[in-house]
Amino acid sequence: MTAIISVENLSISYRVPGGNLRALRDVSLSVARGEVLGIMGESGCGKSTLAAAMINLLPTGARISAGAVRLAGTDMLRLSPEDQRRLRGRSVAMVFQDPMTAFNPVLTIGRQLADFAGAHDPARAAPAALAAMLGRVGIPDPQRCLDRYPHELSGGMRQRVAIAAALLMQPDVLIADEPTTALDVTMEAQIIHLLRDLRSSFDGAIVIVTHHLGVIAELCDRVAVMYAGQVVEEGPVDSLFHDPRHPYTRALLACDPAVVDPASGRLPAIGGRIPDLTALPEGCAFAPRCGMAQPACASPVPRHHPGPGRSVLCHGAGP
Amino acid sequence: MSSAVDGANPVRRGIGRALVADRMGLAGLVLVVAFLMMALLAPWIAPYDPIALDVKARFQPPSAQHWAGTDHLGRDLLSRIIWGARLALGIAMTSIGIAGAIGLILGLIAGHGPRWLDGILVLIFDSMSSLPMIFFALAVITVLGPGTATLIFVIVLVSFPAYARLIRTQTLALTQADYILAERAMGAGSARIILIHLLPNVIGPLVILICMDIPVVIMLEAGLSYLNLGVKPPSPSWGNILSEGYNALRQAPHVVLVAGVPLVLATLGFTFLGEGLRDVLDPRGAGRRWG
Amino acid sequence: MKTVLDLRDVSVDLPLGGFLSRARLPILLDVSLGIAAGESVALVGESGSGKTTLARAVMGLQPISRGTMSLDDQPLSTAADFTRMRRQAAMMFQDATASLSPRLTVGYLITEPFRIHGQPLADPETTARDLLAMVGLPPAIAGRYPHELSGGQARRIGVARALALKPRLLIADEPTAGLDVSVQAEVLNLLSDLRRDMGLAYLIITHNLALVRHVADRVVVLYLGRVVEQGPTAQVFAKPAHPYTASLIAAEPKPDPRQRRADLAIRGEVPSVLRRPSGCEFHARCPLARDLCRRVAPALASTGPGRMARCHFAVTTQQEQGEEHAVEN
Repeated sequence: MTAIISVENLSISYRVPGGNLRALRDVSLSVARGEVLGIMGESGCGKSTLAAAMINLLPTGARISAGAVRLAGTDMLRLSPEDQRRLRGRSVAMVFQDPMTAFNPVLTIGRQLADFAGAHDPARAAPAALAAMLGRVGIPDPQRCLDRYPHELSGGMRQRVAIAAALLMQPDVLIADEPTTALDVTMEAQIIHLLRDLRSSFDGAIVIVTHHLGVIAELCDRVAVMYAGQVVEEGPVDSLFHDPRHPYTRALLACDPAVVDPASGRLPAIGGRIPDLTALPEGCAFAPRCGMAQPACASPVPRHHPGPGRSVLCHGAGP
Repeated sequence: MSSAVDGANPVRRGIGRALVADRMGLAGLVLVVAFLMMALLAPWIAPYDPIALDVKARFQPPSAQHWAGTDHLGRDLLSRIIWGARLALGIAMTSIGIAGAIGLILGLIAGHGPRWLDGILVLIFDSMSSLPMIFFALAVITVLGPGTATLIFVIVLVSFPAYARLIRTQTLALTQADYILAERAMGAGSARIILIHLLPNVIGPLVILICMDIPVVIMLEAGLSYLNLGVKPPSPSWGNILSEGYNALRQAPHVVLVAGVPLVLATLGFTFLGEGLRDVLDPRGAGRRWG
Repeated sequence: MKTVLDLRDVSVDLPLGGFLSRARLPILLDVSLGIAAGESVALVGESGSGKTTLARAVMGLQPISRGTMSLDDQPLSTAADFTRMRRQAAMMFQDATASLSPRLTVGYLITEPFRIHGQPLADPETTARDLLAMVGLPPAIAGRYPHELSGGQARRIGVARALALKPRLLIADEPTAGLDVSVQAEVLNLLSDLRRDMGLAYLIITHNLALVRHVADRVVVLYLGRVVEQGPTAQVFAKPAHPYTASLIAAEPKPDPRQRRADLAIRGEVPSVLRRPSGCEFHARCPLARDLCRRVAPALASTGPGRMARCHFAVTTQQEQGEEHAVEN
């Protein structure tokens, strides 16, 4: 499989009072056509910065110290602003956590979808085409939905419309940032099903950014676990969930209330806090919280490849 | 540590430092402090008596003796300007201070009190602010006669409704805030909610608005005095100096110039300080300014 | 066991708000609920089910239109009743950071319950330190302001403040919302430790079923402001009596790629309270719906020991439940 979008040795930092905040450190990832990649991690792990870099919407103040994001071979981060804008949306589209913020409250859904679609090809902005797309994302009575305003739709419906808007741009890559976090459990299940159905009909790659292990397990082919700006473990979702190699991945999987036996009473927790991203150690950033830490963990960490498609950033994971 | 526990400090730490870091705010702060010092120290720093006549020395241009020259009665203009600062700032700060206090109290009551009281208060605020300000001021002055007290009274009446409405809107928005609900759920009474939880959070915008309104009042005072409807003539109000200067504009243009400069500087000073405070106090305003 | 909180047929409705309109919109309908000392009850439902409204009604922040409420056999109806009860009951809000007054320090906020209720507070510093220690935070945090706290820290401050006066009942609205998985576990462990040590009764409001399984003895499921099912947590999760409960449980994503679900557990959306369906209000989304469901609204009926469900066809579950009980015993 050839990668449609690839992140190569990307390092990004922000200048903050008191130092340099290293949001991403030497991150490499790639996604192929038809594949769903999950990016999993807790707050502050750099997953949002990574998503922003993939759609080239980094906040001002972000400094790319090394690396590239290649979309079909072109380095997106080093294009002229004009080319960037043309590329964004058509090639990479994004769905946000709160779809309400992505819509203009005073324009109808139809008007806004037409703007999205018509920006690249006026033919796609025809009402019939828009309604067909709304039907495809599971909106009942799409024709009427076109005349509605964003506030008249429920959260689940708005998320469907946001996905429709993204698909109208016929992107090569669809990035969804916490697409179900703001939704109820029944709506979450429906959006998961929608995204899973789309995989087969949508000829591109999907990237799901979330902290919810259940969403990753239900939806993704491959998963990358992030900690303190690094991808600490990566692999096919089945082998990673059933045979986690990095102590952080193991801890994360173990403390999800959904897997712990309720009779046990207490939930396992990961002690300690995420490290200060302005003063990271030379060695493993997880070592202070790791139950298996050894003196060697203070030295730079090698990347091991314990199985097909797997990689782990840990001293203890070597052969 | 004990200050941390007991400290119901309404103002966040480091406002002073943040204001100094803001260049425009710093310029405003310097100007305002300079005018305040001028007003406070007038009796000691003014070189002459501001109302002492010297008819022989009338309309003298600036010189070593009279740095700003003299007016049509030979009074020293620099001394009149310095004493004028005392009058201008005194009137502006007293009247806006009273209006601000009334606005704050009525606004909090309207925003947090029972609905029927809110209805009545809003009706009062609206009818007050629907009066055309200048004509209302003229009518009151005609009835009560010109003078400093009348001026303050008029300014308080025309400016408090805007403050009250600002505070009411802020209070109404906060009454549904989670932390106010949380305080109610803990059993906090209205007095505690208003004084400890609402007041510190609604007062910032009021301070900013007041700062921006002081120059408006200084101008209003100067304007009314210019029309002989404000401070009575021998008193060294900036408006009086201007008004008298206009009568002799051809003969002695320096009078209008030296009276206009402090007026412009005071206006700029308070406006800059207000803008600076807005950027520092109002977190929502962060990034609103470009560049 | 002694009942701490007792709600009987509590209804809440809100004015629809047209000009001169007297029309009111029912949000909660005849909710009855009892919580015993030391018991933990979870209130579950999707957005719009009225679960937050119920919490606010108990705390006196939302007037009720019918029904009776009591805390420790003391009625809750007048303003004076609620003033008294707020010493014995505390509430944690969903957004922990937003429920802390922004211009005050943690040290002040955490000792505020003493000031509010005129409790002796000889040494605020020590009290603050003790409370912070109880929720596992360092004393230095007393000097911070709410915006300087992380989500987990703000949540712990909320717990400390709620428990400062040693209440009998704690109402927690989505106590883990917005927290990372590892921090979630810490907050849940803290809540269960405090319950064991202080004999607290909990009313936990959530849509997170994994949380319910871990912290609740009993679960009450709300749909459009009505109780549709209630019973002991383990039994309800093992054999839900109401199809809505069953679909909620099935909709929860499993963190195991080998247990992917093939089809949707539940279709459609929660109807608007402005347009309540006829008959059983769940019929439009229900896989078992028959003609009867569209015409006749079912009543809340017993389906087994300690269990109730509002469904015409919950009976079959009852029989299975009974058999299973026989086996268990």
